[in-house]
Amino acid sequence: MPRFTRNQYRLQMAAAMAVYVALMLLLWPTVRHEVSLPLKVALTLLVVLPVVVFIWLMARQVMDSDELEQRVHLVALSAATAVVAALSMAAGFLCAAGAIVLDGDILLWVFPALCLSYSAARAVFARRYGGLGCG
Amino acid sequence: MKNRLRELRDKHAWSQGDLAVKLDVSRQTVNAIETGKYDPSLPLAFRIARLFRLSIESIFEPGKD
Repeated sequence: MPRFTRNQYRLQMAAAMAVYVALMLLLWPTVRHEVSLPLKVALTLLVVLPVVVFIWLMARQVMDSDELEQRVHLVALSAATAVVAALSMAAGFLCAAGAIVLDGDILLWVFPALCLSYSAARAVFARRYGGLGCG
Repeated sequence: MKNRLRELRDKHAWSQGDLAVKLDVSRQTVNAIETGKYDPSLPLAFRIARLFRLSIESIFEPGKD
């Protein structure tokens, strides 16, 4: 498989996110009111599809990176996983203890939280090596 | 670890981008190696040595640690 440039990755990720936003705006409002369970499941998973493509592009970009970039990806992903794991465990225990009330929708924030933590951690660790761009 | 990468690159009149393409790494990685912020793996050190037709130890020398 040919290696994509950083700009090609950005373009494809932006396209995946554009499809996601379009599906959220056009499809998501009708999903909750859909009475047929199979159709509800199908429409819901259709919204998830561009996110899966986005994750696949992220994974492919990491695999295409050179050794220093992969090192920064690894450290940043480890830090992001630690932050999201700690936050979700804390929220889970607080909810189980009855201190706060959370519903299943909170799971929608796990991936964005992971992406944000990863971006922040990557910016910090990349600076150690003189900056690696923002790919 | 100290290295002579910048000196060798200058001798060939290559930019960091040129060297990055020849080594199949990013320009930022070349810069990190040149400035001593990153020590390359053994396979990359061999690629560098092969490119300049030198031995690894004539390009890289261990630091105090």
